[in-house]
Amino acid sequence: MSKPTPRRAALSLAPVLALAGLATPALAQSWPSQPIRLVVPFAPGGTTDLIARLVATPLGESLGQPVVVENRPGAGATLGSLLVAHSPPDGHVLVLSSIASHAIAPALYSGVRYDALTDFTHVALLSLNPSVIVAHPRLGPTDMADLARRHREGARGLDMASSGAGSSNHLLIVRLGQLLGKELNHIPFRGAGPAMTAVIGGQVPLMSDSLPSAAAHIRQGSVRALATSGEMRHPAFPEVPTLREAGFDLVTSSWFGLSGPARLPAPVTERLSREVLAILARPELQARFAEFGGTPGTLDPVSFTQFVESELARWGPVVRESGAKPD
Amino acid sequence: MELLIDNLAHGFSVALSLKNLSFALLGALIGTAIGVLPGIGPVATISLLLPITFGQEATTAIIMLAGIYYGAQYGGSTTAILLNLPGEVSSVVTTLEGYKMARNGRAGAALATAALGSFFAGSVATILVAASGPLLTQIALSFGPADYFSLMLLGLVIACVLAQGSILKAIGMVVVGVALGLVGTDVQTGQQRFTFGIPELSDGLGFAAIAMGMFGIAEIILNLERPEAREVLKTEVGKLWLTKDEFKRATPSVLRGTLLGSALGILPGGGASLAAFGAYMMERKMSRGRHMFGQGAIEGVAGPEAANNAAAQTSFIPLLTLGIPSNAVMALMVGALIIQGIQPGPRMVEAQPDLFWGLIASMWIGNVMLLVINLPMIGMWVKLLQVPYKYLYPAILVFCSIGVYSINNNVFDVYTTILFAVFGYMCSKLKMEPAPLLIGFVLGPMMEEHLRRAMLLSRGDWIVFLERPISATMLGIAAFALALMLLPNMRKSKDAAMAG
Amino acid sequence: MQLRINMKDVVSGLFLVLLALIGLWLNQDHSLGSARRMGPGYMPMLVFWIQVGLGTAVTLIGLFSGPDPLEKWTGLDAASLALGVAAGFITWAIATNLGPFFSQTYNGVGLGVLVGMLVVSWSAGWRKIGLICASMAVFALLLEKFGFFAALTGIILVASMAERTHTVRGVAGMLVFLLALCWWVFIYELDIRVNLWPQF
Repeated sequence: MSKPTPRRAALSLAPVLALAGLATPALAQSWPSQPIRLVVPFAPGGTTDLIARLVATPLGESLGQPVVVENRPGAGATLGSLLVAHSPPDGHVLVLSSIASHAIAPALYSGVRYDALTDFTHVALLSLNPSVIVAHPRLGPTDMADLARRHREGARGLDMASSGAGSSNHLLIVRLGQLLGKELNHIPFRGAGPAMTAVIGGQVPLMSDSLPSAAAHIRQGSVRALATSGEMRHPAFPEVPTLREAGFDLVTSSWFGLSGPARLPAPVTERLSREVLAILARPELQARFAEFGGTPGTLDPVSFTQFVESELARWGPVVRESGAKPD
Repeated sequence: MELLIDNLAHGFSVALSLKNLSFALLGALIGTAIGVLPGIGPVATISLLLPITFGQEATTAIIMLAGIYYGAQYGGSTTAILLNLPGEVSSVVTTLEGYKMARNGRAGAALATAALGSFFAGSVATILVAASGPLLTQIALSFGPADYFSLMLLGLVIACVLAQGSILKAIGMVVVGVALGLVGTDVQTGQQRFTFGIPELSDGLGFAAIAMGMFGIAEIILNLERPEAREVLKTEVGKLWLTKDEFKRATPSVLRGTLLGSALGILPGGGASLAAFGAYMMERKMSRGRHMFGQGAIEGVAGPEAANNAAAQTSFIPLLTLGIPSNAVMALMVGALIIQGIQPGPRMVEAQPDLFWGLIASMWIGNVMLLVINLPMIGMWVKLLQVPYKYLYPAILVFCSIGVYSINNNVFDVYTTILFAVFGYMCSKLKMEPAPLLIGFVLGPMMEEHLRRAMLLSRGDWIVFLERPISATMLGIAAFALALMLLPNMRKSKDAAMAG
Repeated sequence: MQLRINMKDVVSGLFLVLLALIGLWLNQDHSLGSARRMGPGYMPMLVFWIQVGLGTAVTLIGLFSGPDPLEKWTGLDAASLALGVAAGFITWAIATNLGPFFSQTYNGVGLGVLVGMLVVSWSAGWRKIGLICASMAVFALLLEKFGFFAALTGIILVASMAERTHTVRGVAGMLVFLLALCWWVFIYELDIRVNLWPQF
């Protein structure tokens, strides 16, 4: 698919477009010498954005320079990640890495122009969140068994929304469809917010969302939670069964981390990791994470990098097996 | 009703505290400033200012951010009227009649109309938000993907009415705009389309670069080529205030614009940006001054400005009642609230009455402030036009260049602006109009998204656009409007053909 | 019959068709998908075919709805346009070999635009557009390497050449005023991230 056609070659005006970062890495001791851009490759208002902002403010305070969140959504979170991969590794541009951009997209998209491991310095795991299947309270199924029955019996099958093609929620929909023996009609949106709007409005009866972004809507009763995808029931929602309890052998958690471009100076990485872990350990932050269903991370840069490696290895085959195509 | 008054009284008691009042003023001032400066929009400003709000109380923070948001709406119309520089989508429409009015020496009247119309619309819409927010949200929620697609198609058809000349050429420009909107990464598959491997294009072309180039810079070039035309600008500034006749003509337009804007503002995603075009079309077809459109009709400023501001206020409804942001600015507001530990949604009215009613009261107070800030400044703005053009144009050029650069801190955007300046100049020589192109550019990507989603939901059955009542109605109106516009055009050319 | 040709419409129509054909050609890279699962090429295909249709209609109607001729071009206009475009592309191609300043960013393109536009502005008909575009190119070329003030000075000086009635004193005064104003608005108040002075 990506083999060059003559047309492409003619248009690729090679020399001029071969861009490279101009800036040389700043000296680590002066870091941070200016506000830090934290690129969030998702639309504002969603889980990732929320987590980024919860961490960015105290991080800015501890570092003495504001950490400015910059939303760069699009293409399964690869756009914003690509931007950071190509940024100078001076510690002033960071990215909110996630399962979407650093574990699924590399296997899913042929056109991902970065390597999730070698083009980044992985600093810290911020949060692990289970997914949740939610339904419109009136039009949607009442529980997972009802969902399975309606899906198998209906001639058209059921529609299920997600925050976007290539998200972990999308893969969950694909896997669920395989377990049901009939493909669910996946409806991708541009972010969890618009997708949730469509479910609340009854345009789409079902959605697979990450628990933090759906939590408030579940509590308000504007959507009904059918099942969560964690190992066990989430403490914040003890009444909601896990998928496994409901008879579907499916356990997934999405994760979010803090990463920078490759070759971040070691002192910068260490300082960042230290500050972030201290912030994640604060009781008020733990409370906020628990409130919306996330679990704060505790990994240091080395173990987080290994974690990303294992996630890449885990999701690659799932994506290929699932036959999920970004369409 | 009594309850509403009680609640509003409570809201005013919150909003009128010295601290909240001063932050509302600060927000309105910042908003006006960024509205006037080309390139820097409310989204960028609010995301920069978000960290500052964390230290404040939630109510104060939101009041300030809201002030920035509608302050930018006011400020944007100033440059549109004075310099033909639309800072955002809604002020594209204001350039059409507003800039013509300024060239006729009626800049003061145009600016006053914009300010008064916006104030009136803002006040009405605020009451609407307070009285019937939850009910209106339900209407907004009943819009599905097919309905949105048809609404936007209607918007594009309406956009063609903006054209002064040939309708077919205007539709052509809309389509070019839609095509330009395709540049970038396909959201659903992540594939790069028409980017030629240029990383800057993977986010798509910038609205500011296209708008600045085709409107602002191209206008400078054309003005320099016609020294005689631009002298009108400084010879006669005219009375600052509205004449009695102008006031009488503008009033019904403001009323119509307010109604339309309030209705469209509720729809998440694109509703608000359609409001101004819709109002312009309505005025062009219905108002007393419709024969003057294209030469500086005051109705063409009053209606769209009112609609635009009403929509800006009612777009808070989905946010406040459901916790669903209707545009990028609102999404940032959700972020600001969540950081403060407040989940916007149906329960916010009970859980956070100070915030809810304080914000509503401050919306109105903010509008009063904007009026107070803007009316005395009209004299100053109009004086700006008395600066000889040879000193004015380098200033515009410099402000545009810095503004465009500062959006992404990338000189690529400056070169894009040059390209679109040349394109805009060519279009003007060929009598092709830039306004429909910009609208196509903004609505195109949203249309594609809704189209693809609607077809996924309908399993590839096109009939869905006719089955859903809202969608079918929109398509019906669009077809009717198109027929209405095309018929005289065809008749004319047929006559011409026969005569030849 | 010939007098009735609306050249502006005909040229616009042909321009629309040309753009659409280029678009369709580029769109061959993208998969169309089906109506149910539209691929990335589906919407562009629809859009460009509609554009072909509209362009054709505009052209055909333009044959009879005139007369509305284009503005007259002098021989110099045509020559300087052709030379300018050629000079621009040649400069661009050469500039990318002139060291990292021109090859690593858009500065090579910028130099091409600058030279091309200056050549174009040779003829009186293109003077304004050529110089205004050249001035913006100067701004973009100077900004990151030579700083805010140098870039502003460059754009203001080149742009003021587009207006004959400017005097040296007037330009000097305007330059000082605008430098101060822009510093106050963009650096002092808005604090945009840009170098003020040359970087070496």
